[in-house]
Amino acid sequence: MIIMTRFELKKIFSKPVNKIVLILLVVSLCVVSHFAIGSVGYVDENGERSTGIAAASALREAKNKWAGSITDDVLQKVLEENALINNSEEYLSTDVIEKNKAYSKKQGFSDIREMINRAFGGFQEYNYYRADSVTPEEINSFYSRRTANLIEWLNSDEQESRYSEQEKQFLIAQYEKLETPFYYDDVDGWEALLEYAPTITMLVVLITGFLVSGIFSDEIQLKADSVFFSARFGRNKAIAAKIKAGFIVVTLIYWIMILLYSGIVLAVLGIGGADQAIQIGFANWKSFYNITYLQDYLLTVWGGYLGNLFILFLSMLVSAKTRSKALAVTIPFILLFLPSFLSGISVLSEILGLLPDQLLQVCTAIKTFNLYQIGTKIVGSVPIIFAMYCILFCVVLPVLYQVYRKTE
Amino acid sequence: MKLVLDNLTKEFGGFVAVDHINLTMTNGVYGLLGVNGAGKTTLMRMLCTLLNPTGGGIYYDGKDIFQMAGEYRNLLGYLPQDFGFYPEFSVKDYLLYIAAIKGIRPVAARKRAKDLIVRVGLTEAADKKLKKLSGGMKRRVGIAQAMLNNPQILILDEPTAGLDPNERIRFRNLISELSEERFVLLSTHIVSDIEYIANEILMMKDGAIVNEGTLDEIISTMPEKVWNCIVPQQSVSAMTKKYKISNMKSENQGVDLRIISAEKPCETAVCVHPSLEDVFLYYFGEKVGDHNDTL
Repeated sequence: MIIMTRFELKKIFSKPVNKIVLILLVVSLCVVSHFAIGSVGYVDENGERSTGIAAASALREAKNKWAGSITDDVLQKVLEENALINNSEEYLSTDVIEKNKAYSKKQGFSDIREMINRAFGGFQEYNYYRADSVTPEEINSFYSRRTANLIEWLNSDEQESRYSEQEKQFLIAQYEKLETPFYYDDVDGWEALLEYAPTITMLVVLITGFLVSGIFSDEIQLKADSVFFSARFGRNKAIAAKIKAGFIVVTLIYWIMILLYSGIVLAVLGIGGADQAIQIGFANWKSFYNITYLQDYLLTVWGGYLGNLFILFLSMLVSAKTRSKALAVTIPFILLFLPSFLSGISVLSEILGLLPDQLLQVCTAIKTFNLYQIGTKIVGSVPIIFAMYCILFCVVLPVLYQVYRKTE
Repeated sequence: MKLVLDNLTKEFGGFVAVDHINLTMTNGVYGLLGVNGAGKTTLMRMLCTLLNPTGGGIYYDGKDIFQMAGEYRNLLGYLPQDFGFYPEFSVKDYLLYIAAIKGIRPVAARKRAKDLIVRVGLTEAADKKLKKLSGGMKRRVGIAQAMLNNPQILILDEPTAGLDPNERIRFRNLISELSEERFVLLSTHIVSDIEYIANEILMMKDGAIVNEGTLDEIISTMPEKVWNCIVPQQSVSAMTKKYKISNMKSENQGVDLRIISAEKPCETAVCVHPSLEDVFLYYFGEKVGDHNDTL
């Protein structure tokens, strides 16, 4: 079996076209890592923006001054600092460089300032300048505003019928369960990592699709099937070896890519803040999943892995059934891009929330408000898609084996 | 070793490719003769368990080969008509891979592959990629893979098709060498190949075995005689319309015709010993003009 699997892997990696595919993967990794690292910039006292290791380090240093529990006192201090800078000459200047100089002084507490914007803006609104008008009296209601905004939104005319009373109570309870005060730490590394993680995961699934979609159909395309199926193990162990080879390729490529990507981004931008609640990040403020950045990362990478396995094995199943590599290659594209086309149809949002593309972007899925009722329990889409696609993947494997076994 | 085909039938959406064949085969070389589309490949693919019959069965020493599955395939070597391979594999790698899926242990596989590479004359090409080999060399790799498990049943579908005369003779001799103490079924429409190496000949037409026996038995079944005569050029057209012509050769004094006919076709005709090619033509050939042909 090991020898058969080794030869199956050799079949895949000896093809010239697949060597190009591997180069594409490396290029994708470099490009996506570059964008992720470039998304974190530091503006120095001269108003110049820079990115890279030194910039990330300088920004981290500025932000670390604000590390600690975000108590009312800290919030007050942020408002004071913010007001002080807002009254400075640089800030009031119309010159962009001068404005940048003013911003450079806000960088250290900019994340906390954004939280204030989020808390005191509406649930579905965002106003960058909202923090500038928050009064010291108001700031004491910082944490309660988060839940209040949710309740207001849930009771709005548009959302009134979308959620049942039980679902509304579930969301409110989730919000109230979130431990406060938040602990602030620089999480730029994790933020950037998670922002581009779906991109790298999707590129991996699309590109790996070219590698694995021929595992089954190539025997027929190359007319090597007669010798293959007339061999002693042609209808059992040799098929299992193909499945094993597919599993190895998907697993190795995914983990090499995702770990290299994570390593590069975190090495440059820093690993601080892994234990902090995701809600301290700008994009996750509203999430009802009470998890840390590390948990978010683990869910994202394991979700990506499960999604890769499911989509690519489905692609292999299509390859085995239709004997067409071309058709099999399109499966990842269809599964990834079709939901994007349908996303505008609001009635489909619950169904779209359960499609396999969601596994490739768990860090995005945790920001959505798709709820499902299982018996008497209300759950978000993330645990459902994990359970559902684990089961479906386990179903695809024997089906793939049987379909190919019965090839005539 | 006994292979029994019991009322074996294969239909493809109403088209009967193999039509109720009953046959018993033991050790020896069987030559399967028939025109294109006679059902030879379908029959062979069923013998290799690549196709399931729609009726009847195939039994190896009394056991259904489809029930035997891997146990039966362990006894089988098959060289398909369209021998496909993995272009990026070297000869050695290819044979080792096929040995693995044939269940041969690695040490034995390496030894067997090495022996076969020598035997089929590919020593110098052992490390060459398959895509770089000539047609004849690829066929030799094909026979080597079929022989890897030292099969008791060797099925060769058009093994000499597309080979030049040298390669064909070489290949034919190789098959003869390999055919000892095993059952070999060889399909071809190159009649001379069968004539040289087959002990038993099976003639297949429209999915059925229409004739079977040794070369002499097959020849003796032909009710008509074979004649040689030289006719003037202007008579050739009339003769081809009237008789089955198995050969035609221009000579100085006219055209030398080999005619299959129950009656003497012309005064100067001489009766000659029929060949398998004549029999093939008698059973499968058509007289020129049967379908308004002008050739």
